[in-house]
Amino acid sequence: MARFIARRVVQLALVLLAVTFVAFSALNFLGDPLVNIVGPLAAIDYCDEVEAGLREDSFTSINNSRGDCEIIGEVKAEFGLDKPLAQRYFTWLGNIITGDFGTSFQTQLPVSEIIAQKLPKSLMLMAMAQIIALAVAIPVGVYSAYRAGRAVDRATSVASFGLLSIPNFALGVIVLQFFTLRNQWLPASFDDTSFFTRVHSLFLPATVLGLGIAATYQRLLRTDLLTTLQEDFVHMARAKGMTDRHIMTRHVLRPSLFSLITVFGVSTGALIGGSLVIEGIFSIPGIGSEIVTAVIRDDFPVVLGSVVVIASGFVVINFFVDLFYTWLDPRVRAS
Amino acid sequence: MTGSVPSTTVVDDIADDHEVDDTSIKRLGFGFWIAISWIGLISIAALLAPLLPIADPNEIANGAPRDGILGDNFMGTDALGRDVFARTIWGARISLGVGFLGILLGVVVGGALGIAAGYFKGLADQVISFLVFSLLSFPSLVLALLITASLNRSFLTVAMTLGIVGIAPISRLARATTIQFADREFVQAARVIGAKSRRIIIKELLPNVLVPMGALTLLGMGISIVAEGSLAFLGLSVEGEAISWGKSIVDGSQTRDLNQNSHVAFVPIFAMFLTVMALNFAGDRIREYTDVRETAF
Amino acid sequence: MSDLQLTVEDLYVRFPTSRGTVEAVNGVTFTLEKGQMLGIVGESGSGKSVTAKTLMNLLPRTAEVDGNITFEGEDVRAVAKERRKHFWGVKMTMVFQDPMTSLNPVKRCGEQITETLRYHLGDTNATAKNKAVDLLEQVGVPEPSKRVDQYPHELSGGLRQRVVIAMALACEPSLLIADEPTTAVDVTVQKRLLDLLDGLRRDRGMSMILITHDLGVARGRCDDVAVMYGGRLVERAPTETLFADSRHPYTEALLRTIPRIDQPIHTRLEPIAGRPPELIDPAEECAFALRCRYAQPDCLEAIPPVGGVKGQHEFACFHPANTARGRQALDANLAAGQTVTGLQIQAAAGMN
Repeated sequence: MARFIARRVVQLALVLLAVTFVAFSALNFLGDPLVNIVGPLAAIDYCDEVEAGLREDSFTSINNSRGDCEIIGEVKAEFGLDKPLAQRYFTWLGNIITGDFGTSFQTQLPVSEIIAQKLPKSLMLMAMAQIIALAVAIPVGVYSAYRAGRAVDRATSVASFGLLSIPNFALGVIVLQFFTLRNQWLPASFDDTSFFTRVHSLFLPATVLGLGIAATYQRLLRTDLLTTLQEDFVHMARAKGMTDRHIMTRHVLRPSLFSLITVFGVSTGALIGGSLVIEGIFSIPGIGSEIVTAVIRDDFPVVLGSVVVIASGFVVINFFVDLFYTWLDPRVRAS
Repeated sequence: MTGSVPSTTVVDDIADDHEVDDTSIKRLGFGFWIAISWIGLISIAALLAPLLPIADPNEIANGAPRDGILGDNFMGTDALGRDVFARTIWGARISLGVGFLGILLGVVVGGALGIAAGYFKGLADQVISFLVFSLLSFPSLVLALLITASLNRSFLTVAMTLGIVGIAPISRLARATTIQFADREFVQAARVIGAKSRRIIIKELLPNVLVPMGALTLLGMGISIVAEGSLAFLGLSVEGEAISWGKSIVDGSQTRDLNQNSHVAFVPIFAMFLTVMALNFAGDRIREYTDVRETAF
Repeated sequence: MSDLQLTVEDLYVRFPTSRGTVEAVNGVTFTLEKGQMLGIVGESGSGKSVTAKTLMNLLPRTAEVDGNITFEGEDVRAVAKERRKHFWGVKMTMVFQDPMTSLNPVKRCGEQITETLRYHLGDTNATAKNKAVDLLEQVGVPEPSKRVDQYPHELSGGLRQRVVIAMALACEPSLLIADEPTTAVDVTVQKRLLDLLDGLRRDRGMSMILITHDLGVARGRCDDVAVMYGGRLVERAPTETLFADSRHPYTEALLRTIPRIDQPIHTRLEPIAGRPPELIDPAEECAFALRCRYAQPDCLEAIPPVGGVKGQHEFACFHPANTARGRQALDANLAAGQTVTGLQIQAAAGMN
């Protein structure tokens, strides 16, 4: 078991390296960070031509002593952009490990501070969504498997199929219109006053996010439960005189949870994507809204910092899901 | 709870002893053809949008602003008086277009990578699998955001982005399917008689890998269409005057519009919902029909 | 007969399916005395497992059941809801074929054995665990105190089946139904498990129904053997009588499929020709007629009723083997080289 965990930790470290590298180089390759800072001049061969004496640095003649190329050079040096990508990556990696995510171009605030302020709201939204998803999917899944083929089961199958086909932003818009605009039943935006108001104002968006995932969970769980119900140990439990409720909850549920747990990790990814969008619709000042604003403003350090935190979080969650899975199934644990 | 835990083993035991004609269970079914018809109808409407007798989708004040459904304009107008019905038809062009192109790219690249990894194994497999694993470590919308954030957002770049997001899960399925078939007798036989790798892949493996891919293409197209909508909400869908369902929904979701003219958002939502549901349904039926297990997405 | 424990009368079980109604059990009648061991023998689809599951109330909801089942003076099909909770699993219990799947893979063995004790008898965890160790010792599991904390996958097939047996015996049932309990384990383990079950039954004065497709398994252990075919009970007799003097041609055919020590080593075992009977909309004829060496025109006209000596040797055949009538029928068929159903036959070795 210890060796198993050790191997997983090494794997985790490798994947984290890959993820941060992909994120870092994607934002570096696809959009020259220099352009974001100093403007389009940095993108063309302008400075090379100046250096080669082919043309004069325009601003030197008109303005003061500092020409555009000098400014570009200073910025390059300041942000280390004159170094090769790999070197910059490792410098940056060293920085983020020590908690230095750089400074926002827009607000001049440290990115770590922005993330620390926004992330908890998003985490709360996602945690609530997962709780709602599980709270809906497990009882409904168990009951629909128990009543497989009957009216209740068919109705839930249709409902979950519908839920799977409706994008979460669409459901969000519909729900927003109905619950907060037409009828003022629930608050339309985030209220940060106390824990209660936070839960209260996040309930609607969390439900929207949770229902979509619940549909996936319910379908998976139902299928797995039906497979487990065919097993002899279920007959055995019935031959032992256990009640149906006891059999469903104590014997059948646990061995049927494996797919659900695997998908729990994957669905967290969908949830992160969903919350980027839902936060915008429900005006929640979380990390999702922050990324969207930062992208619009070309605030490169904020985008990179947030993406890295989110992606790393996702990797770490899947790591723990893996461990939990192993703990849950004694057969895997042994090998 | 009353009744008893359902068990079908007894019946199965008995049924096993009899040769059973299963075609009635395996037929694609009526619903499948309805779904395909809807997809066909909306695709034709999208393709022929410039020829259809509908309003100019970008004409401001085509009707009175914020006109309701079944007023002077068939499905009303938005805040700028643009015809909602025309915008929904034109939106289908981009939504279906990026969805289709995106999944096509995903299937071609992801499929090729997956087959290569599954067939050649060894180093190729390790490299490809690690790449795929790294890509899968990003929540897909975050990956899409990472790519589109720093690009000009033309039709092609958005489609490409959706395609890249699809590569990892698709190649994983292709790899799994390839491995499953690569050890089968007919592939072994081809190897024994000295067939070249290229020939084995094209003649023996591809047809088998394509079957689950077909279902995946339909399901994936639905996912891509939804992803375009999500990008639109992040302000990262196709730029400019181009109309997509996602952008139309965003347009209609401004508080004032949503409050008073919810149809501006609800009409494209409904179109997207029906299309995605049809794609999901058709994909599911094909998957059940070809009896391939869900391993990707 | 005061020591009659179980009476099954005119039991019918039907399963409606999309392809028609499966007539799984058709009018089965038998009795079981206290402490007796009854073997039910038949091929798959003969209705033996369905009969057992009917006794245990394990049929799927879709099953249509008709007939009377009385267990220790109580109508099994009308057990009151409150009593039902502590009826199956306590008084009557069952062991299944495959020890690999009869145990829940994610629960420790001890937990599974003590479940009935805690649930039905309200034992505390500690008492229940002690009892579990005792039970494992009784069923011959070595190091029982270590085994209770192990998971099923850590045990061999034979040990697992012993755990299953311990689990079934926990509440000291008065009837144990064993459905092919040794089919899934090694041949070497089979005999030991069967001897164990037989011994436990004798020690506890428990009755037992042993369901098997292998007549050899029933021999020497069962007091009586009932043979089922096509959902019907076709013959029932004390074991030795059945082996020495079988009446139903199917029983005779079954006997010829097992090796016998009293025959020359190279005697060929004969498979039974043809396919198992149709259970969906069967014709009004003897279900075995198509495969039967004795078949005569009357076999295709009606279903033979159960005859013979009630409670002694019962069988359902118009031309029973080892009787004058049967020999006559067989001789006629042998002379013609085929039966009335077109089955090609010839004189076989080992025939009288």
